[in-house]
Amino acid sequence: MTQQDTIQLGGGELSLWGKIKLTIARRTEGRGVALLAIILTVALLTEPLVFTAYQVTLGRIALIGLVALGLTAVILMGQLDLSVASTLAASGVVLAIIPDLTLGIIAALLTGLLVGAINAFGVAIIGINSFIWTLGMLFFLRGVALVISNEAPVKLTNADAGIAFGQPLIGPITPRILIFILVFIAIQVFVSRVKMGREFYAVGGNPQAAKDAGIPVKRRIFTGFMISGFVSALAGVINTLERTAADPIAGSTVLLASFAAAIIGGNYLKGGRGSIVGTLIGAGALGVLQVTLTLSGVQVPVQQIFIGLVLLLAVTTDPNNLRAVLSSIRSARSSRVKVQKPASEPNKSTAS
Amino acid sequence: MAAVVEAKNITKAFGGVKAVDDVTVSVEAGEIHAVVGENGAGKSTLMRILSGIEFPDSGQVMVEGKEIENSAKDSIDAGISLVHQELSLVPEMTVAENIYLGGFPTSAGFTKRKEMKKFAQETLDEIGVQVDIDERISRLSVALRQFVEIARAIARKPKVLILDEPTASLTPAETDYLLSMLERLAKQGLAIIYISHRIPEVFRLCHNVTILRDGKLVYVSEIKKTTPQEVINQMVGRELKLDLESRRDAKPGDVVLSAVGIKAPGVNDVDLEVRAGEIVGLGGLVGAGRTELIRAIIGADNKTAGNVHITVDGKRQQITSYMSAMRNGVAYVPEERRVDGLAMTMSVTDNVYLPNRKDLAASGVINPAKAAKVAKELADRVGLRPPEIKREAGQYSGGNQQKIVIAKWLHKRPSFVVLDEPTRGVDVGAKAEIHRLVKELADQGTAVLVVSSDLPELLELSDVIHVVRDGKIMGTLDGAKADEKQVMGLAAGEKLVEA
Repeated sequence: MTQQDTIQLGGGELSLWGKIKLTIARRTEGRGVALLAIILTVALLTEPLVFTAYQVTLGRIALIGLVALGLTAVILMGQLDLSVASTLAASGVVLAIIPDLTLGIIAALLTGLLVGAINAFGVAIIGINSFIWTLGMLFFLRGVALVISNEAPVKLTNADAGIAFGQPLIGPITPRILIFILVFIAIQVFVSRVKMGREFYAVGGNPQAAKDAGIPVKRRIFTGFMISGFVSALAGVINTLERTAADPIAGSTVLLASFAAAIIGGNYLKGGRGSIVGTLIGAGALGVLQVTLTLSGVQVPVQQIFIGLVLLLAVTTDPNNLRAVLSSIRSARSSRVKVQKPASEPNKSTAS
Repeated sequence: MAAVVEAKNITKAFGGVKAVDDVTVSVEAGEIHAVVGENGAGKSTLMRILSGIEFPDSGQVMVEGKEIENSAKDSIDAGISLVHQELSLVPEMTVAENIYLGGFPTSAGFTKRKEMKKFAQETLDEIGVQVDIDERISRLSVALRQFVEIARAIARKPKVLILDEPTASLTPAETDYLLSMLERLAKQGLAIIYISHRIPEVFRLCHNVTILRDGKLVYVSEIKKTTPQEVINQMVGRELKLDLESRRDAKPGDVVLSAVGIKAPGVNDVDLEVRAGEIVGLGGLVGAGRTELIRAIIGADNKTAGNVHITVDGKRQQITSYMSAMRNGVAYVPEERRVDGLAMTMSVTDNVYLPNRKDLAASGVINPAKAAKVAKELADRVGLRPPEIKREAGQYSGGNQQKIVIAKWLHKRPSFVVLDEPTRGVDVGAKAEIHRLVKELADQGTAVLVVSSDLPELLELSDVIHVVRDGKIMGTLDGAKADEKQVMGLAAGEKLVEA
């Protein structure tokens, strides 16, 4: 029996380069950063206007990214929220049908929180798979938006307030961009520094461990869905104000774009892995790509083909996926080599 | 001396079956108390009740004379810490965060990260484990995860520490370290409940032993006043001959498997032969490259060099892929049966059907009557309990699941069977039956290759033992003459000394 004082099982001192490699290996945003760098380079070479007209670019990123930020909170817990776009539309309509602007905004945001609570109730309390439950909510809310708007866009009573809202505050910063930045900071701090938010990772990464450690898993799921609902409603309010009207079929591309941003940013759909920074990078990549394509005169349907390709590229370049791809290529090659070069006869053995 | 923790008359039933039936256990400060029993005896349920994860139907849990309510948080607060059998860490969180999971130090809701890291480091220093506290769990080895799990339990400053099969994934050296660590903690006044199948560990470490069988408490004794044979008898409830000496009479035939110059990640130029009717054992420490070696041989993973041939009925075929191995009658029983071996939500019949598609669905349509007949025969042959072939595989205990994995390969009369840790986490009774099956296979002329870290098992089964270290065969021993010391010596890097 050996009596040691400590047991060394890995780790140890590292060189600077080793530390850098370690940091990269530990982060989840790698491919998002790489993709953004590629897109920025291409944009710089082909369409420098993307940078001169940065107000447009920032606006586009904020448009795609805001809903994605809230959605990421849910994805981190291993859940999906397909109802984000419908929530956006419904809360926009709620804002427009209420004559008083302040009251309308409050009602719209409360709508988002309510939708989040209903989603969480279905998922955490009744125990329905979040894909199915929020798919139901997607149709339900779209229907509600169409019914209360009478299937037509509703004009904002106070159109002047809307027009004022579209104007820049400081420099190129419109209220939309400012709100986007504030929401980003708030959720980023929440999931990385605040105890409750950090526990989202535990809920998504290993729900049983989270439960056993005394983390109130169901309450965390409520918080997550309510963040997602609230942020979606906030996006609905911004859209309605900027357009001075609420379109019940608004946000049809928002659902897919926000999932795309989250996935490109390295968020793992099964939960527990990813970051809000990643989502920001993903939204940045998508936004710059869209603006570049638009400025280059590429038609919207063709743009969708590009976005689809980028998403597929992002998913296949995930380190784990990449390893699988490489090993299957290698095995295909090595088996071909074997066919060309017949195996030599074994002439030795050790087993006896 | 008063008990620190006391479980009084605990009863818990799942759907009519009493998993724990009127069990009373008490442990004093500084005592290491073993709870043993076959799989399904109720040990894990009892521990889940003690740690507040499961609620008993009746009975109470007392810590220092005070009854605790049934919630995970309440148990932790009262000083009960459970180290789970199935690792319960969050893979994408750091070591420090996992140690403080559920109890991050905070101010106004914000995590105090510096403080958390400092405490985590202190805890790891206390148990003497060196690991980077900022590393994510998913990047650590299984053994290291096990130690982080223990650090987490210690960090809660428990009065009672419960460990459920903590050495299942550790090497002998790591196990040795863990046991010394637990002895040290007990001397400092901690009460420890130690659940294990490994009788030698129990006898080395523990002061008292409680044995459960079918949910009931059947035996309590001081370790000094009992024997391993007695403990095993009480566990299985019948006189089980511990016949590690019952070796079969091997009559090896022609070479069935020949592997030459195998290289793969973790495997460094290995030659290997297995004859018909022969059981070849691969010994060595966890991580020595044995699993990598067998997976490379049967084509389940890619090899970078080497050739593998299987000779069936005088026909010599090269194995280039797992598919070609299967075609030539290779059967593989993997280590992780939950992951690789069984479709848990499918019935026993369906699991048996999977590798026998050609026979049971000759026309492309499954012949249900034939499949059921074959499944029934195989279930009887492997001693599946209960032999209900319509039951989902996931509803069986670990030992019985392993029997299903083996059974599904028996229908085709495989030419070459590879078993990786066939009895890990399996109770004593099922283990004996699995050993009987393996020997039966060899007696029928099948070539068998077994990877086992269980030394008595390796010695009992193998006709030839190759000891693997660092992806190489370090020495070859005659199974009939080898002893544990020789195998361990080679595995740990000593030169083979001819006796």
